[in-house]
Amino acid sequence: MERPWKEGFSKSITFIVTKDCQLACKYCYLVGKNSKERMTWEVAKQAIDYILDHESEFKEDSVVWEFIGGEPFLEIELIDTICDYLKTEMFYRNHHWFNSYRFNFSTNGINYHTEKVQRFINKNREHLSIGITIDGTKRKHDLNRIWKTKEMEQGVMPRPEEKHGSYDDVIKNIPLWLAQFPNEGTKVTISSADIPYIYESVLHLYSLGIHEVNINCVFEDVWKEGDDVRFEEQLMQLADAIIDGGYYEDYTCSFFSEHIGKPMDKVQENQNWCGAGMMLSIDAAGNFYPCTRFAGYSLRNKKPIIIGNVHDGIDKNKLRPFLTLDRTTQSPKECIDCEVASGCAWCQGENYDAADTPTIYQRATAICKMHKARVRANNYYWNKLYRKLELEGLREEYEKSKRKVKQEIC
Amino acid sequence: MWLYLVILLDDASTSYCHYRPHPQSLSQSGGRKSLMPIDTLKNGIRFGMKENLMIQFVYPERPLPEEYNEVVESIDHSKIKLVNATTPNPSFPKEGSKDADVLVVNEWDTLPQKAEVPIVIRTSKDDFFARYKEIFTLLANAPRVNISFTDVEAFTEADFETYKNVLAEIGKEVERLFVKGKTPQLNLLTDRMMLTQMNNCGAGDTTITLAPNGKFYVCPAFYYEDEKDCIGDLEHGLDVKNKQLYKLEYAPICRHCDAYQCHRCIWLNRKLTLEVNTPSREQCVIAHLERNASRELLANIRKHGTFMPDTEIKEIDYLDPFDKREEW
Repeated sequence: MERPWKEGFSKSITFIVTKDCQLACKYCYLVGKNSKERMTWEVAKQAIDYILDHESEFKEDSVVWEFIGGEPFLEIELIDTICDYLKTEMFYRNHHWFNSYRFNFSTNGINYHTEKVQRFINKNREHLSIGITIDGTKRKHDLNRIWKTKEMEQGVMPRPEEKHGSYDDVIKNIPLWLAQFPNEGTKVTISSADIPYIYESVLHLYSLGIHEVNINCVFEDVWKEGDDVRFEEQLMQLADAIIDGGYYEDYTCSFFSEHIGKPMDKVQENQNWCGAGMMLSIDAAGNFYPCTRFAGYSLRNKKPIIIGNVHDGIDKNKLRPFLTLDRTTQSPKECIDCEVASGCAWCQGENYDAADTPTIYQRATAICKMHKARVRANNYYWNKLYRKLELEGLREEYEKSKRKVKQEIC
Repeated sequence: MWLYLVILLDDASTSYCHYRPHPQSLSQSGGRKSLMPIDTLKNGIRFGMKENLMIQFVYPERPLPEEYNEVVESIDHSKIKLVNATTPNPSFPKEGSKDADVLVVNEWDTLPQKAEVPIVIRTSKDDFFARYKEIFTLLANAPRVNISFTDVEAFTEADFETYKNVLAEIGKEVERLFVKGKTPQLNLLTDRMMLTQMNNCGAGDTTITLAPNGKFYVCPAFYYEDEKDCIGDLEHGLDVKNKQLYKLEYAPICRHCDAYQCHRCIWLNRKLTLEVNTPSREQCVIAHLERNASRELLANIRKHGTFMPDTEIKEIDYLDPFDKREEW
């Protein structure tokens, strides 16, 4: 009998199957993408054998086997082999993860319709989550999510007229994806240039039939003077549209959450935001990382943090800083005392990459003004929505049936 | 707050702690004099005076030029010297180490039977397990003995068990000396009995190191490992990024710990866990075996009469505070 899925008590294990991607998104944090580092079956098998051989060290009730790139579906044959092996090995070993596992993908959607990908989907449908990234309207999507050119691989950036957006190549696969995974959400990333398109993009995604829009600002220090004001204006417009248009009943946008924008208790609310260290990532060389963001291709300024490899296993000493990291120890005083601290996210990898010393204990605060703008718009949203519901006598009903907003962090 | 300034008089200054002295990388760096230039020494002393720091000079095995001794004596200080060693100049060590405030033993065969000043014994775990009884005489005849393991990272589960037994054996000798009216001091066993709060190495927090190149380091080990890893220089002053991470309050494991005698070696932290504020399991277990042995020693001494009645070391059910992190 299939065991119930244990959301929140699962181990996330990520195979970085390739560092290649068809796209060259301008905001992508993967600065070291390349077409050479592709995982071999031998490395993948060694990683799986190590993990399943050490069942007592992976005590989580469930597991999410994640596949990431680059673009993971470029390696669909390898992934298919990995998943077949995982299923049979978990069964033969009577592993506690057998029947309590998922395969998870975040894809650019370009190869979604291909025969190999579809065959894989049909084979693993019951244990599959696939998110396709579509960034909103065509002009918003194509602003950042452009095709890679051969010249880019040699470091030559294309002229503006040579940039070719990927919207049309992705949008054609959205109906198929939604038919197969009607409850899946999409992930939208906002950097400085995207701000003017937030309002139209979220509504566009709703119009495509995507009910869950997980959207977040990049953590990197990319923000320009006045971005927070423009961001707030966009969110206010979006708030009005969602409420006035009644979208709040069936759609969510993760920018609006009731739980953000409150002060946080130093003792009771001292947990780390990020799950780095509780996850495990494996790259093509067979190295283990506490999260993909600590692999070399994700880092601009720092050395990778390697916590072991498929031959020697996990060096538990290197996991200790991650597993004892809390909010206040890594936060500057302005964050600890912040009146609107809750919901202010951070990425441990970006913290590390941006830190003054090689440490994960220095919280980057580039996102501060954007979070504060978000909180102001968020307060407006909930005040307006609840007043409307109260006047209509529908608040109680809404509270009972409202969709849960996922706090998507990376 | 800075309290101490360690000045390495020479690249070949003795190690007095866990790190290896004078590694290959420095001897191969080429062209640079290994002795601290005398102007650097003078400027270092001036810096220490202005910052109100207690200066500790760390000596090389070979003698210093006479003018250096004059400069050293221009300020109140402590001298850390090697007790003995194989050397081209066999007459030097004993003669040269006469005025030391701390003597370092690198080789068990040079262990003195008696000393007027504290003795630091740098040893591998295996040598210590084999020769620990050789410190018994010294314990009775030296003001203090510090043991510093040079291979903390190599401790295995079997070694922990051996260490526990060795500490119990040494504890019997320390107990015997106390009963005889002596007050031996051994960092592994007696420090924890005397402490009511953390008393650790303090590198980067209370102590900084000036190297022969005129640059500051968190401790000598950081200099020997990577000369580029400095925290300022005499010309521009100190520039310690993320200084808070050297403090106890910013060390999640240590601030929950009561193994107060632990070295809490910042260099080993960074070497083994990649973070200056996070100790390795080896360091934690070693410190807790010592803590527990101190607790046992305290109980055993009290069987002979009243001894430190206000001190209590609680019984605990763990050797690594990391294992209790869910309870913090």
